[in-house]
Amino acid sequence: MALLRLENVTKRFGGLIAVNNLSLEIQEGEAIGIVGPNGSGKTTLFNVISGVFFPEEGRVIYEGKDITRMPSYKRAPLGLGRTFQIPRPFGSASVRENVATGAMFGTLAGKVSVDDCLEIADRYIQLVGLEEHESKEALTLTPVEKKMMEIARALAMHPKLLLMDEAMAGMHPKDIDKTVAFLKKIKEEEGISIVAMVEHIMRAVVGFAERVMVIHQGKKLVDAPTKEALEDQRVVDVYFGHAAGEGNAKG
Amino acid sequence: MKKNIVKYYPLIPVLAVYLIMFLIGFFMPGMWQMVALLAFYCALGQSWNIFMGMTGYVDFGYVTFIALGTYGMSLGITYFSQFEWLGMGIIVIGLILAMFLAALAALLEAAIALRLRGAYFAIACIGINEGLRYFIEGAKIWGGSEGLIFFGALTQSLGRETVNQLTTFWADFSVFVIAALAAFLNMHYMRSKIGYALTAVREDEDAAKVMGVNTTKYKTLAFLTSGLLGAAVGAMAWGLKLGHVYPGDVFVIHYTIECIVVVLLGGAGTLLGPVVGGLIYGLSKYWLAIIMPGFQLLIFAPIIIIIIVAFPEGVIGVLKQRVKRTALEKYIV
Repeated sequence: MALLRLENVTKRFGGLIAVNNLSLEIQEGEAIGIVGPNGSGKTTLFNVISGVFFPEEGRVIYEGKDITRMPSYKRAPLGLGRTFQIPRPFGSASVRENVATGAMFGTLAGKVSVDDCLEIADRYIQLVGLEEHESKEALTLTPVEKKMMEIARALAMHPKLLLMDEAMAGMHPKDIDKTVAFLKKIKEEEGISIVAMVEHIMRAVVGFAERVMVIHQGKKLVDAPTKEALEDQRVVDVYFGHAAGEGNAKG
Repeated sequence: MKKNIVKYYPLIPVLAVYLIMFLIGFFMPGMWQMVALLAFYCALGQSWNIFMGMTGYVDFGYVTFIALGTYGMSLGITYFSQFEWLGMGIIVIGLILAMFLAALAALLEAAIALRLRGAYFAIACIGINEGLRYFIEGAKIWGGSEGLIFFGALTQSLGRETVNQLTTFWADFSVFVIAALAAFLNMHYMRSKIGYALTAVREDEDAAKVMGVNTTKYKTLAFLTSGLLGAAVGAMAWGLKLGHVYPGDVFVIHYTIECIVVVLLGGAGTLLGPVVGGLIYGLSKYWLAIIMPGFQLLIFAPIIIIIIVAFPEGVIGVLKQRVKRTALEKYIV
């Protein structure tokens, strides 16, 4: 059974079709990269999966259960964690409290005390290397630190499926390599599926993903093992604008 | 275990201030009325702050709860004082009615207004408050615009001596108790899961939802707590103490503004803030009314503006930053 299955999902905003009849499957423990040019519907797809928006058509099945119209706050305890494209820290709270909040309301919700959560937070803060900033207010962090904090916060939720929305954009290549290595390690240790949405950073995709999905204009263009997908002519066209016969691909 | 007690240390300065206030009022002749007024502002500030300070939602209709609390007490005494065997029980009934009305209003208001944010939420709360007032007046329920006058009924059922003690001492004393209770609840919320959830709501409600926080539940809980405490203050400090209630006297937005000023002066979202704010506000209002009667508001407004400009985070908000990494840190929250 797939961990997550999307069946013919369509999400419209007025006349704009952001996600168009898209189906996909994610197995437990997979590392998947989703790529596609700006405006191709990647973030909308994440929003549909995490319940920020409900799709107009299609179904979202998680662990065999239909969660298409389940409010987002009920999905986190089931094991759906995510980070945001533009980090959304709880600004006035400390880094430690931010990460602890993840632990408190994720899959461990109701099973752990506040103190336990703070201890869990310490562990993940150390993993992402923010221990020096632990007691700082989250809004005083640099953008990259905020991204790392969000990853720690999402991991502290102990998710089964982690959606990372361009978590590595804006990072130094060295940091990207470090983050990729560390995500791979976490994935093995805790058995979570990680879906990273990466836009332009092929370095991260190649290093991290086992399978890549290319999305273009809300549709799935290619879904194949990483190397194969990135060498696909259609993908090259979409990214570099030589859309054969279509002439409307946007870089 | 010790760690758990340390978490509650910030209650010490709050309770110490209340105790000192009480002792001054109790032992120094002529001070009781002033101390009672200060306790009233502290209690309201503390209660209002539980919702506003923790969620960032500014409830401009807060006086609704104080008013409904007053009505609860008034209705209890008006309709139950005929049963003489109830004795002091009518005050308990009044308090229960106050809680019931406030809870009903809080849940309804939460269902309607808490779906809105920012200015829309504020306006909706004002609307509900005005609506309730004109509903009571227009539909002529609970005495309509003539209100309820029950001082006589109270005296008849409990005796002059008892009523005298109730209105001049116990009504005010109970405000201290409510203030302390509000401080305790606020502290407890801050230190528990509730506090983390509400901080997340305040900082980024949509992100909080995706993180698994049932935002509606936690907002409603804080709103309800805040409303019930406000209603208790109204029941005691207005209902029981004054012996009458008129809709035009209690559903007045002026009192909400006073709550806001108290909290902003002291520091929104802090525990000690509303106490300090209540003291500053209450004392200056009291003294200015004595030294220049009639002009107090003229002087008062600039003073408040200056304080707010100098301490945008409130007195305690600033102090909190100052005592960071000192021995005082664990006492000031």
